[in-house]
Amino acid sequence: MVDVALQSSRTATAQAGRKRAGLRNALRRKSMSAFLMTLPLILLIAVLVIYPALYSLHLATLNKAMTKFVGFGNFEFLFKRETFWLVVKQSCIFAISAVVFKALIGFIVAHFVHNVPANKQRKWRGMLLVPWVIPPAMSTLAWLWLFDPSYSAFNYTLSFFGLGPIPWTGDAMWARFSVILVNVWYGAPFFMIMYLAALKSVPEQLYEAAAIDGANWWQRIWYVTLPMMRNIIAITTLFSLIVTFANFDIVRILTAGGPLDHTHIFATWAFRVGIEGSDIPLGASVSLFMVPILAVAAIFILRDITKRGNES
Amino acid sequence: MSRKKLSRREFVAATALSSAALITAPYVRGAYAAGKLSMGFWDHWVPGANSASTELVNEWAAKEKVEVQLDYITSQGNKNIVTIAAEAQAKSGHDIFQMPTWWPQSNAELLEPVNDIMDPLIKLNGDVNGTVKYLGQADGKWLGVPASVGSQIKGPCSRIDLMKKYANIDVQEMYPAGSAPKADNWTLDTFLKAAEACHKAGFPFGIGLGETSDNVDTAGAIFQSFGAQLVDAKGNLTVKTDAVRQSLEFYKKLLAFLPPDVAAWDDASNNKWLVAGKGAMIMNPPSAWAVAKRDAPQVAEQCWTHGFPAGPKGRFAPYLPFFWSIWSFSKNKEAAKSLLSYLSQPASIEKMVVASGGYDLPAYEKLTTLKVWEEVGPPKGTLYHYPNPFKHQTLSIAASPAPPKVAQQIYFQATLTKMCLRYYQGEAMEKTLAWAEGECEGFMRS
Amino acid sequence: MSTVTIDKSGPTRKVKYGSMSRDRTWALRWSYFFLTLFAIFSLVPPFYMLITSLKSSAEISAATNPWWVYHPTLSNYVELLTSNQFLRFFWNSAWVSIIVVTITMLISVPAAFALARMKFWGSATLATGVFLTYLIPDSLLFIPLFKMFAVFGDWTGIQLVNRWYVLLFIYPTLTVPFCTWIMIGYFASIPKELDEAAIIDGASWFQTLTRIFIPVALPGLIAATIFAFTVSWAQFLYPLVFTTSTDQLVLPVGIITTLIKGDVFNWGQIMTGALLGAAPPLIIYAFLMDYYIAGLTAGATKG
Repeated sequence: MVDVALQSSRTATAQAGRKRAGLRNALRRKSMSAFLMTLPLILLIAVLVIYPALYSLHLATLNKAMTKFVGFGNFEFLFKRETFWLVVKQSCIFAISAVVFKALIGFIVAHFVHNVPANKQRKWRGMLLVPWVIPPAMSTLAWLWLFDPSYSAFNYTLSFFGLGPIPWTGDAMWARFSVILVNVWYGAPFFMIMYLAALKSVPEQLYEAAAIDGANWWQRIWYVTLPMMRNIIAITTLFSLIVTFANFDIVRILTAGGPLDHTHIFATWAFRVGIEGSDIPLGASVSLFMVPILAVAAIFILRDITKRGNES
Repeated sequence: MSRKKLSRREFVAATALSSAALITAPYVRGAYAAGKLSMGFWDHWVPGANSASTELVNEWAAKEKVEVQLDYITSQGNKNIVTIAAEAQAKSGHDIFQMPTWWPQSNAELLEPVNDIMDPLIKLNGDVNGTVKYLGQADGKWLGVPASVGSQIKGPCSRIDLMKKYANIDVQEMYPAGSAPKADNWTLDTFLKAAEACHKAGFPFGIGLGETSDNVDTAGAIFQSFGAQLVDAKGNLTVKTDAVRQSLEFYKKLLAFLPPDVAAWDDASNNKWLVAGKGAMIMNPPSAWAVAKRDAPQVAEQCWTHGFPAGPKGRFAPYLPFFWSIWSFSKNKEAAKSLLSYLSQPASIEKMVVASGGYDLPAYEKLTTLKVWEEVGPPKGTLYHYPNPFKHQTLSIAASPAPPKVAQQIYFQATLTKMCLRYYQGEAMEKTLAWAEGECEGFMRS
Repeated sequence: MSTVTIDKSGPTRKVKYGSMSRDRTWALRWSYFFLTLFAIFSLVPPFYMLITSLKSSAEISAATNPWWVYHPTLSNYVELLTSNQFLRFFWNSAWVSIIVVTITMLISVPAAFALARMKFWGSATLATGVFLTYLIPDSLLFIPLFKMFAVFGDWTGIQLVNRWYVLLFIYPTLTVPFCTWIMIGYFASIPKELDEAAIIDGASWFQTLTRIFIPVALPGLIAATIFAFTVSWAQFLYPLVFTTSTDQLVLPVGIITTLIKGDVFNWGQIMTGALLGAAPPLIIYAFLMDYYIAGLTAGATKG
């Protein structure tokens, strides 16, 4: 094999002079240079995204010490664990409720921003987008400190109203609430900005026409705004669903999955089992469970993209 | 202050000099001179305690002409455990790693045996306790040198004033500085009554039920004092036993008197609780007191560290040793061994214990009565009973005596505290036990 | 982009239909009221970071009013900004982010150009594929990647685990697909006549890209750059898994794993660190908000 390689390289050098002109022509050829320009991208995706994704399928079939093939053994093991089903349930609760609230708040706030005079919009938009700009790991630290059992600033404030202390991260329900709250806080501005962009692209004449027809506020939203924004709402929601579903940092920093595993979601549990617990195959199996959900979302988005492609 | 420390160090050093020379001598071969050695040590919780190990390592490095790289790795957020897992997978990293409790056992195949330095060290410093042997030895092979740094007893640290006022317990009388404890009445029942009284008065005990080691350790000691084990030494499941039921019942009663969010507590929460002056007792080594000394001196003056309450099956105190282990992929094992035995000389150990304000507990018998525990304050004598000088409590670790690899999972997954919480939150006893049994079965997975 | 939209919304206010103008003033008041509420909600955590960062640990442990500083001090800032460790985190983060941005642009701009303009066999599929990889989250890939790099180290002796530069290989998987996608959108909006004319004049494809497309699509390029920078600056999971030694850590992981110590609470310092960690994206955002938003919305309006 080495011989062959040498051989070919020698011939290559011999012909190099003659080839150079040919190469230049080839580069001029559209498809060749286009291919070369996309090559780094293709390599990156193949080696660092597609290969590891397939590799995790392989890992998921090994035993804990990674010495022998166990087929679906890890999945069988997982299916028997109460904690696993808890994680599945919580991931769904977490992703769905967080996305719904983000979308709702984003929609409402976008309307308010759209309502105020144009010259003041920039300022409001600037303030409201801050949560999205701060790296979530950093802002979650602030939340962690706001929720601290002994020093919670929220509980301090609530105590003036005779309320609390609320176990923000101590009680299963409150902990889920806190985790979702932080996620909504972080993600709602993204929806807001998307919807705002969409709102602005709705032609004003449509509203005028609706107003002349006597449509009230609700009707205008229902019959004009929503249909016009449908695409953006769909895409943003799907995007956010994926990102929220796969979230790691907020839960990890705020509760690390506790209390009693009641806030673990796929990513944090996979980390706990796979990296902290040194059980890489089991961790890989856990994160693979995100795939079906992601696949559904991907199909929807894909359909949308191709539709759009056909239209243009 | 540093001069005083030095002079005592020299004194001890002189007495140990002959034997020390014997131990270190065989390794001074120059084979590793100018080599490199990297170590990942535990990031100490007592402010300023890292400096003693840094100094010792640098002294050794200067003497042996070895280039050293010293990292301090915190155990908060399981950072050290993640690091161990990463280095074990990558088969590269530090030469020496300071591993907590179970981790030498779980990485046994990847660690260099250190019997050749442990045997002389035991001869020099005295024998080590059973927990150290259980955790540090596999098939007669020492997996690491017990590190005095970070090794700790997590007994109660009580507020003298609050305990006296509300629970009618004089902890200083019960555990007088300088003499043997008079703690026969200090049982789990008394403890529970005190917890109730302090809760009523608005200063509940700060005992966490989260998933980190402080929480698990307390639960471990209480389970043991009822004789409860989830998995026995042979690896049989013993979850559904009366001892376990009794422990859960006890915890159910106790939990009613704890702060409402203890389920989310980590290793820092109980310290904050004490330092903020919110509770009458926490279960913690003296780091909380040390921080209070810095940030809230009026609280520190009222702190008293003492022994654990006794249960029906004896008096157990959570003991949490660390080990300095050498990775088998280390390229400079001889130098590593030389450093470890240097760090384990009585003088070095005392220096580190002093720097930690008495927090660190040497594993060796002859070194449990250092002066520092008598001296530090305020209040003077607050740490006198911390190192268990009268051996009136059994030092043990949660989930022992199960086979270490299973016990590690029980410990790390916090099965004990999770059981207590589940039962407390209204789950039926047998359901909780069945859940725990399922978990333990899962832990036996290889 | 935003200027265009602002113009569009301008005329709406001039439209008045009798009683509707009173409705509008009320609607406006309600809008301001709720916007204020939401703005407070948005700004509480960063405000609290700032407040706490100005407190000494004695003041924090005294549990005084958490929303106010009685004895403001800059000692936390001084301590962090003179700590070698913290500066190391900062520089690691800065280097990683800058290099990743460069790599991302070098890969995604030519690729986007090729995919937008030079239709070739499979280019449509590839464009969709690029978009889909953006949907594969880091939390699915971290375990296989971790094992992959460990095995790679075993085979070749080249150790990548626990080296900050391993992040240079991994972060582009997060940034490149999205930046490529943004750039495809921008390039596609450039009139075809431009590049056709250039090609007829004898310019090579490469020249067409650098002389025509990049200057014209500069706003998109800036938006993509900002996106790549903020993503690499904020990444948490990958550096948490791949780097452990304190001298290899980037800022978010460094702050969370070394400043938070079990028994010692130095929350003043932690909040200071968090604030300093949040500063670079915030500063970029403050100056380049419109580009930032353009980059953000590009995914939806163009893709």
